[in-house]
Amino acid sequence: MVKIEELQAYAAELLEKGQVKGVLGYRRGTAGPWVEPCTVTAAADTASLTWDPTCVNNLALYLVKDKKAQAASKTPDKRPLAIVAKGCDSRAVAVLLQENYFKRDEVVVIGVSCEGSGVVDKRKLSEKLKGKTPARIEFAGDDGFKVAVGKSETMIPAAEILADRCLECRAPSPTVSDKLFGEVVQERSYAAPFAAAQAAEAASEEERWAQWQHHFDRCLRCFACRSVCPMCYCPECVVDSTTIVITPQTTAEDKANRIRWCERSATPADSAVYHLTRAMHLAGRCVDCGECERVCPVNIPLRLLNTKLEKEAFEMFEYQAGQDAGQASLMSSFRDEDPNGFIR
Amino acid sequence: MEKILRKEHLSEWLSLLDGYDIHGPAFADGVWNYARVEAGGEPALDHTNTVRPVKEFAFPQREVFFRFEQEKGGRPVLTAAVPDPKPTVVFGVRPCDGRAMPRNDKVFAAEFKDPYYWARRDQLTLVGLACAEPHSPNCFCMAVGGSPHSEDGLDVLMTDLGDRFHVKPITAKGVEIVARGREAFDEARPADKTEVQRAHDMAERGPQRSLTDLAGIADALRQSFDSPAWKELAAPCIGCGVCTFLCPTCHCFDINDEVTCQAPCKGERVRTWDNCQFPDFTMHTSGHNPRDDLAARLRQRISHKFLYFVDNHKTQQCVGCGRCISECPVGIDIVNVLETVAQP
Repeated sequence: MVKIEELQAYAAELLEKGQVKGVLGYRRGTAGPWVEPCTVTAAADTASLTWDPTCVNNLALYLVKDKKAQAASKTPDKRPLAIVAKGCDSRAVAVLLQENYFKRDEVVVIGVSCEGSGVVDKRKLSEKLKGKTPARIEFAGDDGFKVAVGKSETMIPAAEILADRCLECRAPSPTVSDKLFGEVVQERSYAAPFAAAQAAEAASEEERWAQWQHHFDRCLRCFACRSVCPMCYCPECVVDSTTIVITPQTTAEDKANRIRWCERSATPADSAVYHLTRAMHLAGRCVDCGECERVCPVNIPLRLLNTKLEKEAFEMFEYQAGQDAGQASLMSSFRDEDPNGFIR
Repeated sequence: MEKILRKEHLSEWLSLLDGYDIHGPAFADGVWNYARVEAGGEPALDHTNTVRPVKEFAFPQREVFFRFEQEKGGRPVLTAAVPDPKPTVVFGVRPCDGRAMPRNDKVFAAEFKDPYYWARRDQLTLVGLACAEPHSPNCFCMAVGGSPHSEDGLDVLMTDLGDRFHVKPITAKGVEIVARGREAFDEARPADKTEVQRAHDMAERGPQRSLTDLAGIADALRQSFDSPAWKELAAPCIGCGVCTFLCPTCHCFDINDEVTCQAPCKGERVRTWDNCQFPDFTMHTSGHNPRDDLAARLRQRISHKFLYFVDNHKTQQCVGCGRCISECPVGIDIVNVLETVAQP
């Protein structure tokens, strides 16, 4: 079991000794059952840090946000940040290290092991409760989760509402950590890597395309999936209209004729361009934290797109994003034995 | 002319509404949304609330203003595209969303009567369904002057009485569609009215979020424009469009020319939903962005609803549906924000 008091004490110690400027963690929110991400900067406030199966967020995103803020600041605070990281979140830190987004001494990783469990999936819960938002979710050991809706309470078996990524998790213990809380568990009772992607592959190409058209058709283009992704760190995204550098010499015509990779209209075609572009940019980089799928307000199963590409990376190159921070990243390395049948 | 509709007579009423497009709540892909009710079908009226708001029936995410075409060297030819929709009835509108529409009406009529909005709005009949209990722990309609059985903005209000609905027409449009129902209805007896009263009273006692002092918020916001709290409250914000796109009263839009063919030049001028949380929302042609960070954007979203709209239209532009809270990927909670920065 992760002893939260020990984690809090460690966070307090880091802050007291001035080793970090802040600790990225989870605390109880005001908005229903889910935790909210927080940055604790004073040792006294570490008592608010919490850890439970509603700690869904991948906080590595905030390492990226901080890096951007410091780069833009005239008086940057370059002290390291500490981050509470689950297995999947630590893989995101590893990929960011592989890609040299920041250096190892700029981050202190407080690893937490999911210990054979995982986090609750909002989407599955919504299916179970037919759209109702619970007021509380508690882990009740082997029996699963106790979910309070209005005045009633229901027990739901863990396997029924754990996130798919947790059911398929290949490494529930952090791959990068400076201090680890909870027991290292490598084997999981649920584990079935790539099960959802495999199941989806059973359908014919036509059926799959029809499915994705159905999904893209309801995309709102709120860009929550991109905005929450720690790997989507480009300073400018191809879908934003801020992608043209404007100088005093830029003419009105240049501005009007700027390249628009996808229009503002949320048509199925433009939404497909957006989602497929994002998926390709994540190939060999997605750590399967499932955040894109979790935040989608209309439940587009985005994780499927990304795990499909991770499956390809694994089957072709035995590569798993974020498994080893010291390894060269998939796209920047080459081995003689890599399949090259596509070169003619 | 309050009526009683036995639940088994709902489809009979619907079948008598020929000439109308009928929409109602449907649960698909794990979310509630409005869907067209096909002939012989019935809307599901046991819903929580739809994820997408009812505003899009008058203010769709994409609206074509006009089409353009120009042969090289020729004159541009413009074709008007004001919509001419069929009369539309939307069933299952929750009272919070009903209250949103008169607010949207003000925006699209106060200074300029928007022909696109009103072409759809004038054809729209909203049939509300009173809430028996809050559908989420983030409901706060009563804190912003509404109620689980508010009639404001609705054309008909239905109240679920177990085996039957109490049906109360409110506007001329409402009277019209109820009159069409003829013998599908029974007259409401005094006992039914007592039961409706009891149901409404009970609903008001359901647990809701509250605001300490609604009337004091506008001035408090004026005072706290430079408050450091904005930065803190916006710290977890990822800058996505969930809160505003799903908001039943957010109405900001962007206008773009979408070119579909270069020679001859062909295309459409379209209006799409825009979003004050996106980086390009306030970006000037010079490249300067006056609202450059997420704290300024959060302040704008809150201040528009509880200060500027109050200044302009003498009412809040928030109806307490709770979507922006429940669907926020990182737990930003408008009630908590107001309680933190906007209390005298």
